[in-house]
Amino acid sequence: MIYIIDHKDSFTHNVVHQFENYDNVTCDNYNEIDEKKLNKSKVIVFSPGPGAPKDYPISSGIYKKFKGKKKIIGICLGFQQILHCEKGKIIEQKKIYHGYQSKIKVTSDNSLFKKNRKFNVGRYHSLKLKEPFAAKNFEITMRCAISNVAMAIENNKENVYGFQFHPESFLTENGNLLIKKILSA
Amino acid sequence: MIKRNYLEDLNNSKKPFIIYRSNKGFDLYTDFSKKIILTKKNIEKFINQSTKLKSKNKETDLFIGFFGYEILNNLIGIKVKKQKGLKFPKGIFYKPETKIKLPNKLNYKNLGIVRLNKLFKININKSSYKTIFDKFKKKIKSGETYQIKICTKYSNKGKIDALDFFCRLVKSNMAPEAFMIKDKDYSIISCSPENLINKKNDFITTKPIAGTLKKTKKLNRIKALAFFKKNIKESKEHNMIVDMERSDLSKICKAGSVKIIKKKIVEEYKDLYHYVSLIGGSLKKNTSSLNIIKSMMPGGSVIGCPKISTLNLLNKQEKESRNIYTGSFGYIRSNGDMRFNIIIRSILNHKNNSEISVASGVVIDSKAAHEFNENYIKAKALMDLYK
Repeated sequence: MIYIIDHKDSFTHNVVHQFENYDNVTCDNYNEIDEKKLNKSKVIVFSPGPGAPKDYPISSGIYKKFKGKKKIIGICLGFQQILHCEKGKIIEQKKIYHGYQSKIKVTSDNSLFKKNRKFNVGRYHSLKLKEPFAAKNFEITMRCAISNVAMAIENNKENVYGFQFHPESFLTENGNLLIKKILSA
Repeated sequence: MIKRNYLEDLNNSKKPFIIYRSNKGFDLYTDFSKKIILTKKNIEKFINQSTKLKSKNKETDLFIGFFGYEILNNLIGIKVKKQKGLKFPKGIFYKPETKIKLPNKLNYKNLGIVRLNKLFKININKSSYKTIFDKFKKKIKSGETYQIKICTKYSNKGKIDALDFFCRLVKSNMAPEAFMIKDKDYSIISCSPENLINKKNDFITTKPIAGTLKKTKKLNRIKALAFFKKNIKESKEHNMIVDMERSDLSKICKAGSVKIIKKKIVEEYKDLYHYVSLIGGSLKKNTSSLNIIKSMMPGGSVIGCPKISTLNLLNKQEKESRNIYTGSFGYIRSNGDMRFNIIIRSILNHKNNSEISVASGVVIDSKAAHEFNENYIKAKALMDLYK
């Protein structure tokens, strides 16, 4: 079972439907987390949401508790949540992307995805990762083809993954494939 | 065939009635056997019982009316602090016993002399609008909202003939979700273009509009589409609404069934072009009417995104009640089918006080002066009826 934590976003249920293609999904509100179901789940997903990672301490607690024990996937705010827990700095960016389709690129040899592959994705983010960023076992594997901003992280050792863009958006090409590959990794 | 001066007689009879745009013309509902005034306490019960009428096949086996903005917030657990403004019910529904089909051309002439008051007051002037605008822009930069709609309100005092207003309004703008309500102490006139819920059996659609372009002689549909596609700001706003509505539908629809049926097309109306998408899905088994309403309302395209944090920001900011504005008008049939719009481009007249609310969106590349002006243009189309 996949447990999705909804940070009160207006895109969360697109995420739910996308993951339901591959497994049973339970989705609960950030304020109403069901410990039993969370413990039972195989995968935890941090949803997109408004604000910044520091606004969601419960999700940070869950990340620290289950890192290395369950597969963890973060999307948009969820991606930033993981980085925040890994001591990354999340900052405002000059150019803001809301409802924006842009090209990104796979930049790492160690990614589950093929290096140098480019594709269009949907983006909804005010904030970004401040670089340089380094954390054990983590690698930035995708970047914006124009601005170079970090777009995905992978930690294939402890099974932690995150996307700054929205794989569930109708603006993202092959979003389902991305999720399928991560889930079967 | 209805009598030639049917509308005149009805209007003179002081009987409450409702007119709603249909496929071919208008439907008129009257002879109301029940009138339910909604409160925080009775709304859930009302929605649950609306589908429990004994008869389910007659054209009048339905409840028709509106949900105001505040009660839709309450329904999804969002508080709205006490606000100023008209003391108007949070929602009213009627059970009609008569339904009459009316043609496109409404035959009604206002003969009684009503002296109209042309002067309107605005609740937020340009400089306070700018202050609110800048405040919300900061909230966009910090990620608390991605898009937010600032509401301004124009009001005046004086009697109106609601039916006369409605007939004149639809003559110049045959909006697909136009409606009017006339009751003893209030009336609503609206040329809403936007359908929020269309549910038949277990299929549901929503048709958000994001992007409006005024017609000129040089424009046609193809050029209008090119304009919207090239305009990055309009495209981004529209994309955001499409993903948000997909997500709202996904709460109540079967996994994998939510589809964009018409993606970013241009629809042509008498005076303007709209940038529209149609999204639909198959409802999960046993989805209640209450669940559908809670998932879809208030309609996201007139609030902003993400819905909950944006509603909270708006409610903290707005000192005056929105009343009907950005609520929903429509009906629930006793067989569970529904049609609801989003109440925009509307006049509420309550005890001879009129108010016209308008809003336009703040996204990161919006300009305050431009949006303030957009609001004025939207309101002007309605204020012109007072001439």
